[in-house]
Amino acid sequence: MLGWLTGLGLFGSGILSAISNFVFIKPRATYGQPQRFSIGKPDDFPPGVRATLGARGLCVVREGNKIAALSTTCTHLGCIVGVSDSGFACPCHGSRFDQDGTVTGGPAPRPLPWYKVTLAPNGELEVDKDIEITPGSYLSL
Amino acid sequence: MRIALAIGTFFILLIHGIVFYDQFFHRWERNQIAYFDQARAMAKTDAERAALSDRSPRIEQIVVSNFGETRVDRCTTCHIASDDPRFATYAQPLRTHPYSIAMGDAQKDGKWERRHKFSEFGCTVCHDGQGRGLEPKYSHGEDEYWPDPLLGHTTQESWRKDYAPKLKGGEYLEANCAQCHTDPGFAGTATVEKGRKLFFATNCYGCHRIEGLSDGTIGPDLTEVGKKWKLDYLWGRIADPRAILATSIMPKFNLKDDEIKALVVFLKSRKGRNFAETEIQRYKVKLTGGAELVQATIKPVEIKPAEMLKQGEKLILDRACTACHKLGARDGGIAPDLSFEGAIKDEQWISDHFRNPKSTMPDSIMPTFRFTDDEFKAMTAYLVSLKAAPALANGEATYKALCLRCHGEKGDGNGPIAIHLDPFPRDLTKAGFMNSKSDQRLVDSIRNGVAGTSMPAWGKLLTDEQAKGVLAYIQTAYTKEPRRELKARQLPEKNPIAMSAESVARGEAQFVNRCAGCHGKKADGKGPNSLDIQPKPRNLRNARFVGSVDDRRLFESILYGVQGTAMPPWIDYGLNNNDVGDLVNFIRSINQKPKGGQNAVATK
Ligand code: FES
Repeated sequence: MLGWLTGLGLFGSGILSAISNFVFIKPRATYGQPQRFSIGKPDDFPPGVRATLGARGLCVVREGNKIAALSTTCTHLGCIVGVSDSGFACPCHGSRFDQDGTVTGGPAPRPLPWYKVTLAPNGELEVDKDIEITPGSYLSL
Repeated sequence: MRIALAIGTFFILLIHGIVFYDQFFHRWERNQIAYFDQARAMAKTDAERAALSDRSPRIEQIVVSNFGETRVDRCTTCHIASDDPRFATYAQPLRTHPYSIAMGDAQKDGKWERRHKFSEFGCTVCHDGQGRGLEPKYSHGEDEYWPDPLLGHTTQESWRKDYAPKLKGGEYLEANCAQCHTDPGFAGTATVEKGRKLFFATNCYGCHRIEGLSDGTIGPDLTEVGKKWKLDYLWGRIADPRAILATSIMPKFNLKDDEIKALVVFLKSRKGRNFAETEIQRYKVKLTGGAELVQATIKPVEIKPAEMLKQGEKLILDRACTACHKLGARDGGIAPDLSFEGAIKDEQWISDHFRNPKSTMPDSIMPTFRFTDDEFKAMTAYLVSLKAAPALANGEATYKALCLRCHGEKGDGNGPIAIHLDPFPRDLTKAGFMNSKSDQRLVDSIRNGVAGTSMPAWGKLLTDEQAKGVLAYIQTAYTKEPRRELKARQLPEKNPIAMSAESVARGEAQFVNRCAGCHGKKADGKGPNSLDIQPKPRNLRNARFVGSVDDRRLFESILYGVQGTAMPPWIDYGLNNNDVGDLVNFIRSINQKPKGGQNAVATK
């Protein structure tokens, strides 16, 4: 009986510590800029626009009533890509991406990620850079 | 043994469990879950539902770097519905932040739009509070050591009970608005504006420095006062300075509660750098000492010749002169009595003293206030008109009416205002000093005053008989020791050494060797030994004083010392008339003779 109790105590503590360690290996908050933020009203992005928000590392694309936000951080070494005729072009080592962020040339190993966009209750668009979504999925307004 | 082991491990499990619970089931998490549930229930469209679908509790954080130091603002972790208009009627923490036109919010198509977006401004820029805290007790609790308690809504337990009721409410928030909105007519910061006006109108600027506004040096620098002190402390320091800090020399201004509040809000808005003030603006103020701000804030009074006296009186009473000085029934308890000023000072002296107190009294602590020429004239005219002498029955009554304020009830020089005077009033109980001077010399001091000090020439108010009467009272009541016969001393009437560059140089060498220890290298009376001797050594750069004493008296003080003080008889240390002559020349050479003024006449 006592042996059981001792075992339970040690084992239970072990499990709890293990779970905590896994969860807290990543800090819950860091002092960087928040990853979820508002980018303004949908009206700020008229249909057909491809607007880059430099400080946020985003390109907001609106087609008709569909809106999406692509990362403008190159997947090669992290430079900020610029908007070009055919999509995006990286100034550093020449990676090229098409309108949807798919790699069409250069050293970039992965396509540009798309981030989750939602309409917040106060009527503004919110982008969450923690949540990547499948390329090509738009938020319809 | 095994029981102990079993209990021990069980205990460890328990502690683990508590820590685990504490780390995984936060109050803010429950708040957020409650919010998601309620928002989901309210959701009408697919889009609204989709917006919530991927959200799980997490720390919401806004990093604000435009307003002062970078702020990490996690308030929206709990106040997650701040920007969700659907929660306007909910209880905190799940409540929409109110929209208001005063804050610049605007209505568009029936929907409110914020002017100050939380994502840009955060919450603590306006409300203060500890932005990093995730528990109410950390973020807006009542910890007395937190520099910025949640402004306006929290009264901390440690705050003085009598001030507490006056410190609640949103008005204090204006202090933070004013860090950006500095334009004078700004509608949202009316209280700050009122406080700023009072800061100039009650002459606070004369003593206190606020970078970019004023440059007084007597009181503490208030440039960062809003960052350092909390509401209750500021309130207390204004309402009753000595109740909060026993050593404060700040006068008690008789302000009304709403005026104190305005000043507190104004001071709370001074947190060092004001984000809206530009370098150029601050530089300009530095050049002019803020004169134009005083002018912009308080309108000069238009002086009409017929009402000159009346207006002068009003200025003196309104602009807080009586917060320090005594005048009739009003008494600030800090500075000399002005009730008979016209009788004991002439117009020139009063006018000079107004414009630059240090020109008439080199060690005066009175600040230079900014009034227009006309205002100075009116105030001078009013003081000059105060000629009525009080009825004085005898020596004792005279002492109580005229001398006690400085020399004190016990005659020891510790009168109620003595600590603000430099030099200190004479200690009349020191028989050594009092008995080393002839009666004639003492009566002369009473009648002619001591130039360059606060001792006025009472001769203008007292007859010779009355002056003798008060001296007799002082000698019997305070000095007590019977007078001895004074030894006749061999003293030259005039300095036998002619003033010359060589003589001054020799005198300076002597001075540095013998006198600088007490009188200081600059001869300003602040030598290293001056700290622990009482009375303090003379300030020999007090031109008014030095100009008023004749050579004979300087010779006497140097050769025979000053009894009852630390000044030794230098004749015992081998100084002769020639050495003293050089010293006197040196002392005279560093003091330009003051022009005009009643005290410029040498006393004998
Ligand atoms: S970083 Fe963009 S191509 Fe290398």
